[in-house]
Parts: sequence; structure tokens; C-alpha cells
Amino acid sequence: MIFTIFKKELKDTLRDRRTLIAMIVIPVLVFPLILGISTSVSTSFEDKQQNEVFKVALLTDDPGNEFVRELMSIPYSLGPKELEFHPLQEDASQLILTDSAQIAIAIPPNFDQDQANLISSNITVYFKETNLGAKQRAEFFAQHIESVLRNKRYDALDLNPTKLIPFTINYTNLSSTKEMLGKYVGGFIPYLFIIFGFIGCLYPAIDLFTGEKERKTLETLLTAPVPRWKILVGKMFVVVLSGISAASFAMIGLFLSLEVFEFIDNPKILEAVNSILSLKFISLLFLLLIPLTVFFAGIMIPITISAKSFKEAQSILTPVNFMIILPAMVGFIPGIELTYTTALIPIVNIVLASKELVADTLGIDLLFLTFLVMTAFAVLSVVLSHKRFGRESNIIS
Amino acid sequence: MIEVNQLSKIFELTKKQRKENNSNEKTSTAVNNISFTCQPGRVFSLLGPNGAGKTTTLRTIANILQPTSGSVKVNGFDTVIAPEQARKNIGFLTGSTGLYERLTPNEIIAYFGELYGVEKIAFETRKEYLFKLLDMHDFSNKRIGRLSTGMRQKVSIARTMIHDPQVVIFDEPTSGLDVITAENIIQLINNCRKQGKTVLFSSHIMSEVDLLCDDLAIIHKGEILFNATMDEFRNQMQSKNLTAEFIRIVQNQTKTELA
Ligand SMILES: Nc1ncnc2c1ncn2[C@@H]1O[C@H](COP(=O)(O)OP(=O)(O)O)[C@@H](O)[C@H]1O
Ligand SMILES: [Mg+2]
Repeated sequence: MIFTIFKKELKDTLRDRRTLIAMIVIPVLVFPLILGISTSVSTSFEDKQQNEVFKVALLTDDPGNEFVRELMSIPYSLGPKELEFHPLQEDASQLILTDSAQIAIAIPPNFDQDQANLISSNITVYFKETNLGAKQRAEFFAQHIESVLRNKRYDALDLNPTKLIPFTINYTNLSSTKEMLGKYVGGFIPYLFIIFGFIGCLYPAIDLFTGEKERKTLETLLTAPVPRWKILVGKMFVVVLSGISAASFAMIGLFLSLEVFEFIDNPKILEAVNSILSLKFISLLFLLLIPLTVFFAGIMIPITISAKSFKEAQSILTPVNFMIILPAMVGFIPGIELTYTTALIPIVNIVLASKELVADTLGIDLLFLTFLVMTAFAVLSVVLSHKRFGRESNIIS
Repeated sequence: MIEVNQLSKIFELTKKQRKENNSNEKTSTAVNNISFTCQPGRVFSLLGPNGAGKTTTLRTIANILQPTSGSVKVNGFDTVIAPEQARKNIGFLTGSTGLYERLTPNEIIAYFGELYGVEKIAFETRKEYLFKLLDMHDFSNKRIGRLSTGMRQKVSIARTMIHDPQVVIFDEPTSGLDVITAENIIQLINNCRKQGKTVLFSSHIMSEVDLLCDDLAIIHKGEILFNATMDEFRNQMQSKNLTAEFIRIVQNQTKTELA
């Protein structure tokens, strides 16, 4: 009987365009779209920046000084530039503020003389921070010239540069790319799960309960010789399935955009993503996703049962949506980790556990505890749904 | 056979309902200690003005609502003790019944056939019989959303009858229907009587009741004011026509109450 109801509701749901869009289309498309747009925007931005001809205003009364000569000898391939000479007393800030140059470099008089006498000169660089890349380019030019002139001084003083450096440091990062991913993007996967799991449940929960009431088919269904709990369970399976599908399709979309469309070309990240995508990872993730989605269905159904119309159900569920998203955000807060305490908080525990799952650092005890806690909450919510479904004031209007 | 014994139904009112009613009463008695029996092969009519308690009574018999006190037996099965067996024996149709818009008549009939546990062969025979009787073959594969009111009505009837119920309950079945569509219902009721089924239907229109019923109960404010055969009703009549007599009985009670 449960299967009969499940079959019918699934068929009915799959014929609803709204549900299909929320369950499959949006989840599959969302990552390719976001990643596609952001990478194409950022690569085109980088390309533009790299090939952009930088206008450099040089404020000096001696255009043939060593600084200028070294600047001119930096090959074009290291950043195209166009030099413009101005007298030293000209207002450099004006040149920048009117955008007639991106960087203005003021070189003091007697620069060459000071260099020859081993005196330290003061160079001023004018730029606008909002002019992305200007400072980096100026720093690159300045460092290059500084090191050339410094080496000249070592030679002049007959010094071995290594004797001047007490020590150098090598920082060696031992955490795997996988762990780094877990820490930094790991919060993202549970977030995705929670949002899409929720959205996936939403329409069917309204359609299968409020909708059946609004369209006046519920009464007929309740006269059939089927215990009410079986009707509830049959319908609930469809709601849960839809939530899991939405989350799964979002995952599929994410991996499609990584693997097929190759939006991310960092081989280390790709390798880590591939190693995350193991059978163990996916099955454990679903182990956590199932009680989570049942819990979502279980808190939505009492609301959709008592709502009189689609609109009413939606307006009550919108704030609930925020109550779900807030704990999901916890995944992004650094420092909060899965412990015996946080594992007791529903939703938060799923977020933290899946983060650790990505990093491959999830202990079996915490996994088990998280699963148990979430299942307990799911069962509670189902019991609540069952109670509400039996209430006469909810089923007749 | 339907046996209603000292049935009462009291609704707990929600805060919202109390506000709407403009009263502080926590409960509302929709049906107050009523008893009647509907026999097989006869058509029983529950006649009463709006708000009399007809829908509540029929819903309690069809096991959508639980009785507050008293009992209902359908073909011998008590609706509280053996709810599923009782429901298996009932076909329930209301004037405001909806259908699943995205399914086809074939799919809806198959769904309810399964829900009522109809065996495959019996189902096919029964479906063929109903589709032919109601002339449904032309649109049996179109989605409900594309069907006319008349076609939908036929689907509802087929859905109600697919498990060949011994007891058929109609709640104001012709309300909102045009004359031709209403005629389907009238034929259906006559058919059911011929086949020896127990038919119970509610109405607020005396002429409709007169056309169809063998036994009559007049219900008003949750109480049964008159319960006898249609012939007995005609014989005891004090007014010039049936409708006037129905109004007289209802107003009589209201007067007694006031006094
Ligand atoms: N779910 C309910 N909650 C509270 N009161 C109800 C409910 N259903 C019906 N009633 C009340 O019970 C009385 C009988 O209603 P109903 O059985 O629908 O009458 P009828 O079908 O004869 O028009 C009415 O006063 C109505 O307001
Ligand atoms: Mg009614």
C-alpha cells in the first residue's frame, strides 16, 4: 500500500513542472553557472590586467638617470608599459587622479650621484588602491630595480651577499590538499546539501499535503481502506526522495563543472576532488543526508498539513528556511569543529561532519553520534507529522 | 447496510474558528445523538438545510471523522473497531470532490483499484464495465486538467464504484452540476438500488429527494426531526406540497426551541 501511494505521488510529482525545476534543473545548473561565470569573468579580468599597457609617469629632471634606464630595460613581456616624462615639480597626484597615468614615480634629483656615493635615495610612488593591479605592478618594477642596484653595491663594496643574510626560512606545509579543501571549501558541500535538500523537499511537501487539501482530493483518499500512517509514509518517501535528488543533482552539477567543463585547472585541487569522490565518501555523505532530509520533511509536513492554501504554506515556510540556513552557515565559521557537544546539535552536526568527511578526518565515533542524533530528530519530526496528519481539524476544512 | 447508533460529533474549535464565530464556546456540536438505519436495495436520503450536520454525519460514516460518542456500523463492521473493513465496503462521493489534475482517468482508476485491493482480473472487468457504462473510453488517457466538468464527474463516479462497494454514500452529489451532468448521478443512484446496494445521500433540495429516495430523514441543527419511508412522509403531510412540509418540520423545531 505504501508503495502504491509512493508510486502515484512520484508520478504526480514528476509531472509538476515547478517541482521538476526545483528538484533537477536548478540544482544541476547552479554550479556550472556560478563557476562558469566567475571563472570566465576572472580569467578575462586577469588577461586584461596582464596585457594592459601601464601608463607610468616619471617625475624627474634627469630622464637619463639609472632608475629610468633600469626601468626601460625591464622586458616588455614582464608587463607592457608606456613611459611619460614630467618635470619633478609637477603635481604627481593630479596625474593619477585625472587618470592620465596609473602609476607616477617621483625620482629625486641627484639620483645617480647618490647611488655612486652609496647614499640611500627616497623614491615616491603614487597610485590609487582602487586601480586594481597598479600597486603590484609598481612593486614589481621597484623590487626589480632595487635588486639590480643592490647587487651593484655588493660588487662595489666587494661583498659576498650570502654573508649578509643570517638565515633563510623554508616554511613547509604538511597538510594535504584534501585537508586544505576540507577546511576551506568543505563548509561549502554541506551548505549545498542543506539548501538543496531543503528546497527539494519544499514543493513536494506543499503539493502533496496542502495541495491535496486545496484541490479537494484528500477527503477521497482518506476514505480508502489504507491506514493513515501508510499514506503519510508513502507521501513522505516522495518528499524525502525529492530532497535527496535535489542535493545529489547539485553535487552532480558541481562535479560536472569541475570534471567536464574544467572550470578549475589547478591539478592539485582536481586530484584532491577526485580522491574525495570515493565510494566511501559518497556513501557516508548519503548516510548523513538521509536523516537530514527526513528531518526536513518531518518539520515541513506538519506545517503544510495545517496550511489552507499553497500561499499560506509558503509564507510560513519562508522563515523556517532561514532557521535552516543559519545553522548551515556555522560551517563557514572557522574554529568551530565537530566535538561531542556540537555533534548533538541537529543540522550543525551534519555541516561539521561533512566538512570533516571532505578532509577525511572524521572519526567513526563522531560519525556515529551525528547520525544517531540526526536520526533521533528525524524520528521525532516524523512522529509530529503523524500526530498532525491524524488531527481532524487539519484534514477537513 | 448502515447502522448509525446514538451518534454525536462535537468539534473542538480552534482560536481562529472561535473568532470567526464571534463566540467563546470551545466546542461546537455538529451532530447530536442521532440514530438511523439504511437498508440494502433502498435509497436513504438525509435532507436538511445548510449547516444541519449532513456532511459531518456522512464523513463520520465514511470514517474520515471519528465519532465523539455513539457508533456506526457499515455492513456489520464498526468504524472504530474495524475501520479498514468498514471503509472497504464504502464508495464515497461528494459534490465538491477534486481529482488529481496531472493524472489520467486510467491512472486514477488504477490507483484507487490498488488502494481498495481489487484483484487484477476483477479490476479489468469492473473498469471495462464502468468505462462503457459512462462512455469514458474517448478521454481515458487524457489528463484530468484537460477534461470538462461532465467528464470529470464521470471519472469521479468510476473512481467511487471501482471496488464495487456494497454501500454508496453521496454528499450533495448534484450540487454545482448542470442538469445533464446531474443526470449521471441520478442514473447511478437508480442503478445502485437495482443492484441491491445500500445508498445514502444528502441533499437540501426536496424535489431531488422526492425523485430518488425510498427512506427519508430530516436533519436540522444536528438532530433528526423526522425518520420514515417516503410514503409515510407523504401520508403524514400537513402542507400543500413536499417542500412546504419540509420547511414546516424544520421551523416547528425552531419554534419549540424558542418557546
Ligand atoms: N471541522 C469543523 N470544525 C468545526 N465546526 C465544524 C466543522 N465542520 C462542520 N462544523 C460545524 O458543524 C455544523 C454542521 O456542519 P455540516 O455538517 O457541514 O453541515 P451541512 O453539511 O448539513 O451543511 C456547522 O455548524 C458547521 O459550522
Ligand atoms: Mg454539507
